[in-house]
Amino acid sequence: MSALAFVRPNGWDLPLFVHLIGAFALVGGVFATIVLAVGARRRTQHAALLSRLALRTLLAVVAPAFVVMRVGAQWILSKEKFAENSDWVGVGFAVSDIGALVVIALAALAWRASRRTHAGDLRPTSGAIVVGLASFYLAALAVAWWAMTTKPGS
Amino acid sequence: MFGAVSTYEWLLFAHVTGAFCLLGGAVAAAVFNVAALRRERPSEIALLLSLTRSAVVAVIAGSFLTLVFGLWLVHEASYGYGDGWIVAAIVLWVIGSAAGEAGGRRDARTRELAERLAAEGDAPSAELAARQRDPLSLALSYGSGAAMLAILVLMVWKPGA
Repeated sequence: MSALAFVRPNGWDLPLFVHLIGAFALVGGVFATIVLAVGARRRTQHAALLSRLALRTLLAVVAPAFVVMRVGAQWILSKEKFAENSDWVGVGFAVSDIGALVVIALAALAWRASRRTHAGDLRPTSGAIVVGLASFYLAALAVAWWAMTTKPGS
Repeated sequence: MFGAVSTYEWLLFAHVTGAFCLLGGAVAAAVFNVAALRRERPSEIALLLSLTRSAVVAVIAGSFLTLVFGLWLVHEASYGYGDGWIVAAIVLWVIGSAAGEAGGRRDARTRELAERLAAEGDAPSAELAARQRDPLSLALSYGSGAAMLAILVLMVWKPGA
C-alpha cells in the first residue's frame, strides 16, 4: 500500500482538484466528440449538424479542459518536487504533451469534416480520422490515469 | 522501469476509472443536452437526446465501479465505514443516482415526444420546447451532477480523515 495515499499534504488538495476537474471534463469532451463524429457518419441526414457539434465540443469543452488539466498538473508537480523524475510522471507528461498536438489536429480535422459535410460530402475521410484519432487519444488518457493512480516505480 | 503495483493502487485505479466513466459520461450527457436545448426541429432534438444514451451507459457503469471499488478501498486502506466523509459520500451517491435516474426518465419522455413530432411533420413545437426547459427535469439532471462534484470534493479533501 502506498503511504502517500494517506499522508498527502493539505496544500496539494486544491491543485489535485483542479487537475481532476480538467481531466474529467477532458475525457467527457473527447468521449462526446467520438459519439458525435460516429453519429455524423451513421446518420448522414444530420451529418452537417453533428460534424459542427463535434467541432464545437472540441473548441468549447476539450481545449479548455486540456488547459485546466495541464495547469493543475504543473501546479501539483511544483509541490511534489520529489516526483519530477518518476516514470509515472513521465507517462503523464508524454500523454499530455502529445495530447496538445492531438487536440489541435482533432480541431483542424473536425473543422475540415464540418466544411465537407456542409458542401455535400456526407462521409468525409477527415470525419473518419476524427473518430480514430479521438478514440486513440481516449485510450492514451486511460493509460495516463492508470500511471497517475498506480504510480508504478514510485 | 516500472516497479510492482500494490493491491491498494489497483483498487484505486479501478475506483478512479469508475469516476472517469461517471463524470466523463455526465459531461458528455451535458454536451448533448445543451446542444438539444439550442435546437428547434424535433428530429434534431430527438437525435441529440438519443445520443445521451451512450453517455448514460458510461454513467451507470461508473456509478457501480466507484461504489464497489470505493467501499473495497475503505477496507483496504483501513478507513472506517462510519467516517463522516465516507458516509456523506455514500449519501450523496444515493441522492445523485436517484436524481439522475429521475431526470433521465423525464428526458426519455421528452425524446419520445420529439420522435413523435418528427414523424408528424417535424415542425417546431412550444410543448417540446417547454418540456426541454422543464425546471424540475433540469434541476434533477444538474442536481445529480452537482452531487457527483460534491463527492469529488470529499474524495480529494477527505475532511476529518
